[in-house]
Amino acid sequence: MAPSATPIDSSPPSTSSSVDNNLQPFFVLHKASSGKSERKSTGSAKTRRRIDLSPSLQMNAKKLEAKRVEECDDDCYVNLRVEAFEIVWSKIESTIKNVLRDVNTNVFNEIHRWVCQSFNTIMSSRTIAFHEATQAFPIITDASSKQLFTGLVLTMDISILASWYREQGNYGNPVVVIVEDIERCCGSVMSDFILMLSEWVFKIPVILIMGVATTLDAPRNILPSDVLQHLNPCKFTLGTPTERMDAVIEAVLVKPCSGFSVSHKVALFMRNYFARQDGTLTSFIRALKIACVQHFSVEPLSFILGGISSEENEQVLQDGLLLQMVLKHAFDLPSFVRNTTGEHNGEIFTHGLSEMKKLLKHWGIVVLVRPESFLCVNSIRNDEYIDCLYEAGKYDKIRLLDLLCEALDPELHNFRTSDTHTKIEEDPCPFSSNYRCHQQYPVFRKGGFIGWALRKIHEKLKELRPVLKSENDKSSKEDMTNISKRQASRSQLYMEDTKAVYEKATILMECMVRDYMQPIESIPLHEVFCFKNVEKLQSALIGDPRRRIQVDLLESHIILRCRCCSGSGNTLLPTMHDTSIMYNLAQEHGDLINLHDWYQSFKSTVLCPRSKRKQKSKQSPSKKRKNLTEPENLSEAAIQARFCRAVIELQITGLIRMPTKRRPDFVQRVAFGL
Amino acid sequence: MEINDGDEDEFGFSRNYFLAKDMAASGKKSTHKLSDIDLVDEQELRAEASNAEPKHEKEIESLMESYKSLYSKWVFELRCGFGLLMYGFGSKKALIEDFASTALTEYSVVVINGYLQSINIKQVLITLAELLWDQLKSKRRTPSRNLSKAQQPFNTRSMDDLLAFLDGSQEEENDGVVCVVIHNIDGPGLRDSETQQYLAQIASCSHIRIVASIDHVNAPLLWDKKMVHTQFNWCWYHVPTFAPYKVEGMFFPLILAHGGSAQSAKTAAIVLQSLTPNAQSVFKILAEYQLSHPDEEGMPIDNLYTVSRERFLVSSQVTLNSHLTEFKDHDLVKTRRHSDGQDCLYIPLASEALEKLLSDMNQ
Repeated sequence: MAPSATPIDSSPPSTSSSVDNNLQPFFVLHKASSGKSERKSTGSAKTRRRIDLSPSLQMNAKKLEAKRVEECDDDCYVNLRVEAFEIVWSKIESTIKNVLRDVNTNVFNEIHRWVCQSFNTIMSSRTIAFHEATQAFPIITDASSKQLFTGLVLTMDISILASWYREQGNYGNPVVVIVEDIERCCGSVMSDFILMLSEWVFKIPVILIMGVATTLDAPRNILPSDVLQHLNPCKFTLGTPTERMDAVIEAVLVKPCSGFSVSHKVALFMRNYFARQDGTLTSFIRALKIACVQHFSVEPLSFILGGISSEENEQVLQDGLLLQMVLKHAFDLPSFVRNTTGEHNGEIFTHGLSEMKKLLKHWGIVVLVRPESFLCVNSIRNDEYIDCLYEAGKYDKIRLLDLLCEALDPELHNFRTSDTHTKIEEDPCPFSSNYRCHQQYPVFRKGGFIGWALRKIHEKLKELRPVLKSENDKSSKEDMTNISKRQASRSQLYMEDTKAVYEKATILMECMVRDYMQPIESIPLHEVFCFKNVEKLQSALIGDPRRRIQVDLLESHIILRCRCCSGSGNTLLPTMHDTSIMYNLAQEHGDLINLHDWYQSFKSTVLCPRSKRKQKSKQSPSKKRKNLTEPENLSEAAIQARFCRAVIELQITGLIRMPTKRRPDFVQRVAFGL
Repeated sequence: MEINDGDEDEFGFSRNYFLAKDMAASGKKSTHKLSDIDLVDEQELRAEASNAEPKHEKEIESLMESYKSLYSKWVFELRCGFGLLMYGFGSKKALIEDFASTALTEYSVVVINGYLQSINIKQVLITLAELLWDQLKSKRRTPSRNLSKAQQPFNTRSMDDLLAFLDGSQEEENDGVVCVVIHNIDGPGLRDSETQQYLAQIASCSHIRIVASIDHVNAPLLWDKKMVHTQFNWCWYHVPTFAPYKVEGMFFPLILAHGGSAQSAKTAAIVLQSLTPNAQSVFKILAEYQLSHPDEEGMPIDNLYTVSRERFLVSSQVTLNSHLTEFKDHDLVKTRRHSDGQDCLYIPLASEALEKLLSDMNQ
């Protein structure tokens, strides 16, 4: 990362001009330096300046030279990374677009069929009543349909439209009118429109498509009943946000799409953000984009992702200088250090990269295959067991995002791989019928859903073993057959088959889970691909000014890290930031702060002599300290000025409201608690 | 600068609104008056305020210094199409301008001072369009169709036209990006929803990147979901500086200044200047009456009418009333009930302020 500005550069703009500028509503700070060539020259100018400042030391100059090279390389890196981000994000974006289009395709096809059908009805049965011909059905977004001849035509004379319809040779096609959001329409206008259309429906076979964002009651709430009877509605539903979410997750994060992936914690955060924020895909995609940009902005090697699908990065790695830089960074990655021994060279790195790519691919496949492999077991027709095991999947209780979170969890993975063979606990079904259970993570028992599923299979096997045995010995023991009564009654051949299938399935699943479903975080070099910093993501995504600004004021000494005020606990010290003192004092008041009292306690705080500091920790506002010896040369005017300034600053932050005419001696507190 | 979420209890102050209300209602409400403080003269106060010795200068400086390591990250995010939103206590003006002038040299940068009272967004848009036009022209890669279109001077074009120009096609995007720095996007001059809508539209233009700061705790309420998610596309940064709000607070009244008389006399003079000579004369009659009868509640309306009519300033009660409405709208004149039940008019200014105002008017 380039230290983009050195302390030397930080000279503020000259004061006279900045004062002028401060009072301008707006001004041009500077114009663009033209082009990239100049960008480099500014870089060298910077260096020159730096060298000028330390000309005497040869050593320094050398170091600076080295640094300059490094900086230049970092510069290249930044450009490479920006490009990589653009490539990766455009891949993700187009993938999402395609996925969402596919999700809608079925509904759109259905709508198209329906339109044709309705049209045929209109055309063929000219004797039917008017109201049956004008049909409307609610869907949620616009359908780009080839038959869209008109939008809203309220301003036109409808007979003109009719003659246009006949003349233009359009006869034979329906006229589809799309109302994007019926709930945003004016009810009376809509009613008139529908009544008019229904009168003309034989001349112009109009078919209405209405978007409804809420419930099916919407048309009923907006339109009067005499208008409603002119409509013959048919319902189409687009995918729910969760369904679309699953589709997007699958395409973007599970299947290899762009190479970019997120860590367990980030996935958890994004899931909670999706569930708690507004449950819209937009906010999820925004979170993903911020995660992506954060990754590319801090991870030096992330540029490799730009060429992950092509062989470009191999070419990049041919570049000697660049390769050196890459290796320098790569060998510092904790996951790489942990997992390699011996010499560090380019080959190891490239090998590591391709291994990584392979693993990522497998990972995606295994995460996706798993449900099918369950189905494979499912087909054995062992109902009681299956019901329990797949309840979640069947009844929409487990979303792909939940499974993803689990698959990404390194702890769970360790638990699974170490314990599945030994620990078969009595574990009730982890899913209550309560939909909420999967939203409040972690609700799963140790080992999660995947581990649980594996254990269940083991249990089943164990269950089968004695049954088979007893079948062989032809001595059925009643006490063992409680659960497996049905199996016991089946033929031995079937049992053998079942057992073999179970065993195979179990081995396969265990093997897949153990070898291929490794969480990304435990794979060497994952730092290149995987975004892990959930705190960064959170703070960039969700600003919390209301809380943070108050915390700034209440704990100014922590942020400023000054010696004079730290270690004071809750005591207010005269050295503290004035506004911070004032806001701390304000906490002692109710919703109204008496200005006089506030001033007096502020005054006594800033005048508080050092020796007496301890006893005077908390002042009740009513206590006046008029006899206070004034140790410092602070004039009354200076204190009042500081008080005024602090009040202004609090006013700017919006934390207090100014006195009103009715209450000239009080300011009002605005925020209570964080 | 991360602060744990769990800190809340440690503050020991997380009292809620109702507790605070309770405290106020419990009868302990202080009856002290502001006037009990021995207030110093306003001029002295202002002088002291501007000379006050800053605290923690060194720490503030190193805090600012620490943010410099983030500059490259910020540039990265701007390049990737995000907007930067800086918040946290303290003036962020110097920080953002330093960032813009050291790290954004590649781009043209326009600074909007949102803390000022009135900002003409259209003028800003024209400036942005002109900058972008220069930039595109110097690159000489602009398609000719745009050339001809832009020959019309920008200041005669509509907002929509200007926005459309700034939201040019994707291919051009790399050629010209203009950064807009908005100090206090939540400031008084930008706070209304129409302006915010325009700012959001500007922010969503392909040739524009925004770096903004907020200081008000409720600033996010200015934006709806669409503005936040798709137009501004904020990346939030908590960057408390604790630097004094010098410029930002310039126009705020000092709470301990004497009733702000100087201020209101000044505003009164400005309002009066914009009125007709006759209206000014009516106001003068009232002011002179108030100065010569300092103990009375005010001048009875009938009285004022009679005097004004005598001096040929008004011809009817209706004319006088229209003047009075004007005065009242600008808080120049108020009514109150006289002890004998009659409504009377008075000017809500202290005698000295009124005298000064009169002498100003006579000049």
